[in-house]
Amino acid sequence: MSFHQARYPERLVKEYSSDNSSFIEYTEIPEWFPDSMRRGSLNLPQIAEYDVVRHFTRLSEMNYSVDTGVYPLGSCTMKFNPKYADRIASIQEFSEVHPLSGEDNMQGSLRIMYELQEMLKSISQMDEVSLQPPAGAQGEFTGIMIIRKFFEVNGEGSIRNEILIPDSAHGTNPASSAMGGFKTVEIPSNGDGMVDLGALESALSERTAALMITNPNTLGIFDSQISEIARMVHSAGGFLYYDGANFNAILGKTAPGKMGFDITHFNLHKTFATPHGGGGPGAGPVGVVKKLKDFLPVPIVRKNMERYFLDSSLKNTIGKVAGFYGNFGILLRAWAYIRRNGSDGLCEITERAVLNTNYLAGKLSQKYRIPYAKIKKHEVVVSSEGTGKRALDIAKYLLDQGLHPPTIYFPLIVKEALMIEMTETVSREDLDLYAESMLKALEVSESEISEMPRNTAVRRVDEVKAARDQILRW
Amino acid sequence: MHSKDVPEMLNFLSLKDIGDLFSDIPPDVRVDGINIPAGISEEKLLDEASAIASLNRLPSISFLGKGAYRRFIPSVVDHVSSIPQFQTAYTPYQAEISQGMLQALFEYQSVISDLTGMDMTNSSMYDGPTAAGEAARMAYRCSEGDTFLVPDIIDRNVLSVIQNYLHGLPVKITSYMVDRKTGKIDLADLASKVDRNVFGIFAGIPNALGILDDNVFRIQEIKGNAMLVTYYDPISLGAVKPPGEYGTDIAVAEGQQLGIHLAMGGPYLGLFSFRKEYVRKSPGRLIGKTTDSDGNPAYVMTLQTREQHIRRDRAMSNICTNQALMAISALSYLSAMGSKGLRSVSAATLKNSRKLIDALEKTGAGKYPFNAIPFSDVLFKMHLSSSDLAARLGESGISGGIPARDLITFPEEGYHFFSVTELTGDEEIEALAHALGGATR
Repeated sequence: MSFHQARYPERLVKEYSSDNSSFIEYTEIPEWFPDSMRRGSLNLPQIAEYDVVRHFTRLSEMNYSVDTGVYPLGSCTMKFNPKYADRIASIQEFSEVHPLSGEDNMQGSLRIMYELQEMLKSISQMDEVSLQPPAGAQGEFTGIMIIRKFFEVNGEGSIRNEILIPDSAHGTNPASSAMGGFKTVEIPSNGDGMVDLGALESALSERTAALMITNPNTLGIFDSQISEIARMVHSAGGFLYYDGANFNAILGKTAPGKMGFDITHFNLHKTFATPHGGGGPGAGPVGVVKKLKDFLPVPIVRKNMERYFLDSSLKNTIGKVAGFYGNFGILLRAWAYIRRNGSDGLCEITERAVLNTNYLAGKLSQKYRIPYAKIKKHEVVVSSEGTGKRALDIAKYLLDQGLHPPTIYFPLIVKEALMIEMTETVSREDLDLYAESMLKALEVSESEISEMPRNTAVRRVDEVKAARDQILRW
Repeated sequence: MHSKDVPEMLNFLSLKDIGDLFSDIPPDVRVDGINIPAGISEEKLLDEASAIASLNRLPSISFLGKGAYRRFIPSVVDHVSSIPQFQTAYTPYQAEISQGMLQALFEYQSVISDLTGMDMTNSSMYDGPTAAGEAARMAYRCSEGDTFLVPDIIDRNVLSVIQNYLHGLPVKITSYMVDRKTGKIDLADLASKVDRNVFGIFAGIPNALGILDDNVFRIQEIKGNAMLVTYYDPISLGAVKPPGEYGTDIAVAEGQQLGIHLAMGGPYLGLFSFRKEYVRKSPGRLIGKTTDSDGNPAYVMTLQTREQHIRRDRAMSNICTNQALMAISALSYLSAMGSKGLRSVSAATLKNSRKLIDALEKTGAGKYPFNAIPFSDVLFKMHLSSSDLAARLGESGISGGIPARDLITFPEEGYHFFSVTELTGDEEIEALAHALGGATR
């Protein structure tokens, strides 16, 4: 493994110049176009094709990626992105379809969407799925809006204004809830890293709209009290929302529907291996139980005999959460991944991912404190507290070894946290190497580690200066 | 992982069976597998995907637009966006090992700021409509009042997304009039609706009717304390005065046209720019330029205290995953095309929409009903019935002519959109005129 990052003093794209622009024929702005509307100067970069390629190739060589090596960011599920999915997404009949082509002209794309809806229903044991949300956080927001609309329709809209969220939750959960106009109430974890049922009981009330949790949680712990939690939330009249970011831990082992959840979102760019694009695009479909079917965004793809069509007739729909039908190019890749792996493959993926993470945790437990001594699922949180090293320093050491560090300082409830998710696409050799490096980091002297990284394209980056200077453009 | 490693790894963990790793899942919530078909080989998968793809029919002639457009994409753009180190990277949390993506996104922020004449641009939103929704929320944070003004003729999907984004705030959405004859904002009506309670005004250029509405330039004279949110077309800025030059506070757009494939509606790109005094209230990721410990230039995600992973329920937005790779496509598109290229695309679009109006009016099939200049989307009042129109287009294999009321809040019957780009050829316009010719009044 061990990545060697290139180091180029690569200039900005606007510092290149060329008078070569022959991608399309030159056309003058027509003389009838009024001066009052005309643009004056326009200063876009003007760069020759060969320099475009060299510029971006050099930049790419200063960037780590899944294709480069192990990328164990916790809760990010950075698994290998199989190349057949990209090949399928580049088929012209998929990539060039206009979204307003009409149902007759897009039967193939609609079939992909329909099949993906059906497969996600089976995987989650939900009753209906919308593919429209373009990212996981947008899936959460969609779920929140569905909950809000449900209570508005049944007359409890002004009363049920609270969403309960465990303290170990992803930051998007409270942010999405607040965007939907809800007050968020934090539920503490108990000594086992699970929801504190006493605290939950006292937080539940006629104001509760929902409890939003992920299971396994961000500590990688499966909350075995989930049936009881579901019973408590439901008897208070609230909904149970499943944050699907950690779905890679449960494929074929349990399902949100089985656990009593009413709404779930999926992160296709995590669980179903679509490339993350350096930050996006993703896709965050949402599944709901029967009671909430009518509230989903429109349209939903349906099938009548052998014909697929778009159904916008949902009675209480929240409307739209994105321009068209969702990130189709990502949906298509996820379809391909699920078809290729199938029921047997998906179950094995979860088994291997969980095995890898526990194996690594076992190796690290020699020197690192692992809070909440239990079997972990897809990820493990270790702490460097008491080792004399900060999580940040360990991360910088790993960079110098050519390894991508784990997520650090999250979840917030563990001090000096290093959150590690080893997916199924990591070999045992790489697990051993990664563990060895993390253990070695603890032996490096304070003075030496504070000088790291040295082997990267740049040394430690001054974040405080960035926030102060606010240089966000050339 | 090799399957021979499994027993040894389990042994290391003092476990017997891989199922032991799941012993913490109580029996009452366990499932036994997934009810979907078993996996298939890559060979079979590719066959199946090709067969399904062939069920799609790409039109030989297309006049489709309204939010997504078939434009020329230089080959180099597809190349750049498929570079594995960009395509398979995560969000650049670890700056030192992600300098390539960070610099590229910094360049994207810069080039969109130059294009729009705005101070700053974030590193991407999901698409145009969600960027509009985030802009409405940001306007609320940056001003005072409880009213967001939108035109009474607006794209249905944009309006619906804005409604959802504003639903959680104590605000209302009120509409101002678009003049039915000119197709432009009724400035007197808008002025009468602007008061201290208005925190934002949404205006499109081109607007929902497809018109380059120069009345948008004059909103700054009457907007008072309201934030002006301009929804523009990035390609049009090759010819048209940019949002930064007429008092825009937040400029948002659908960026699909900047080198991104149609792909049935996504992934696309939300462009989001704003005036610098509002940076701390802005949503989304921002890349800043700084230095490393040796004093060399370096890039890093900055002002993260606005974001959900730090600020949680008080974050400016919930956005986490964005559309970074599409931002790279847009950057490489604009870099390759350059100013001359973008001006040409814009100019050819203007010429083609004029040609289309001339051709269709000549046949008597329809009339351009507004005293205005459209950009890509040309809304005709057709003399043909909707069913006759659909039949004629169908027979000729032409896509387009979507009824206006399906897409925008404009209930009149008989209005249909035909959209052009720089790729629309004279022969395609002739074919359309031919298909619709001979219509009776």
